[in-house]
Amino acid sequence: MLSRVRQPPINPALRDLERHDFWAGFAIALAGLLLVVCGARHLTSIETVEGGTAWETQLVKAFSTSGLQFPEQVIPAPPPNGDDPAALERWARQNSQYSAPAWKVRVDAGATTPCPT
Amino acid sequence: MDNLERKPKAPERPDGCAACGAEGRQAAGKGPGRTLSRTRPWVQAGFAGLWLAPLGQWLHGIPGCVFHCYSCPLSALACPVGVLANYAALFPVAPEAPCLLLGVLLVVAATSGSLVCGWACPFGFLQDLLAKLTPRKITLPAWTGHTRYAVLVGLVILLPLALGYKGIRFDDQAVSICRLCPAGALEAGLPFSVRSLLTGHGWIMSGFKSALLVAFLAAALFIHRPWCRLFCPLGGLLALFNRWSLFHLRFNPKECVECNLCRSRCSMGVKVDQKVNVPGCIRCLECTTCGAIEPRMATPKE
Repeated sequence: MLSRVRQPPINPALRDLERHDFWAGFAIALAGLLLVVCGARHLTSIETVEGGTAWETQLVKAFSTSGLQFPEQVIPAPPPNGDDPAALERWARQNSQYSAPAWKVRVDAGATTPCPT
Repeated sequence: MDNLERKPKAPERPDGCAACGAEGRQAAGKGPGRTLSRTRPWVQAGFAGLWLAPLGQWLHGIPGCVFHCYSCPLSALACPVGVLANYAALFPVAPEAPCLLLGVLLVVAATSGSLVCGWACPFGFLQDLLAKLTPRKITLPAWTGHTRYAVLVGLVILLPLALGYKGIRFDDQAVSICRLCPAGALEAGLPFSVRSLLTGHGWIMSGFKSALLVAFLAAALFIHRPWCRLFCPLGGLLALFNRWSLFHLRFNPKECVECNLCRSRCSMGVKVDQKVNVPGCIRCLECTTCGAIEPRMATPKE
């Protein structure tokens, strides 16, 4: 059979009534609501793979789907080793249009890798 | 054995107090807590179904207000803790303000404080269920709740920020909240590892994370809500607003019969008899059983 845990005596007369102010909570909730509305329509400074800038919702979604791309991920492979001129030519042709990316990070809105970590 | 206690059962009849044995004290047990206590598991189960509804990933762009992994195959919304850590890690490369995240958290915190911890968090619900398996619990001192803020500031904000300045992306950071999170291990690591095992690719979750998950599940049997009490950065953040939130608990001294029922019903170790709108509270509303503490919404006329 369960027994009640012994508790120290209480004195309701000395207890803090903890009066609650409506306006403090209301002001914080209002500020939060404004941030939600702004956030929903917030265009970040980060580009997307498709072009244009990413919405904040796209950025948040990218966090959970490995949707952030960094420049080192799109750097072309190094030239092939060996003396195969065909392979070297193919590599040169594939990367002839390549130039170092101007962006530091961009969002791939279509990424779906489920667990980044 | 001093640190072991058995969760007491509230008096069955509202016309007396089992704690002090006083007769004729009508207040004990007449509050809404008993009904709320019966309703709460169903509400928690309903919310778990909502957060884990297999709706696809179209809501992943919106941070949720409860703690659960956004990599879970059934997860609908994004994890606010993971999103905050990602923003911190991204800050050195692209400083962005997490308007949506802050907005969602401020609205929830200002309206209800930590009410979502006690009633809507799926991870809290799981810990509540595990706690029912063993009657004896280890009580932790109240100061241990401060470690949640160390996790919030250190592990969720400063560490990813510092590693981000070193050029390490969040996904590549060896130590991060997502790599240590038991919710992530349970909701994402475990299903993906089981699927990988069944398809013959072996167990993909790291041994360390698997061990953390086992340790957490074992701890939840003997400590009531160990994650919430010791580590949850989201619960710590929301509970900071308990003092100002529109939904709050009010103590009515005229109703108090000094039965200590409020304090003995509190599984989080809050000294409810002294102050109730405190950061250690998860607002499960068990303390409202006696009737002297009542849930209220603040109004402009107060």
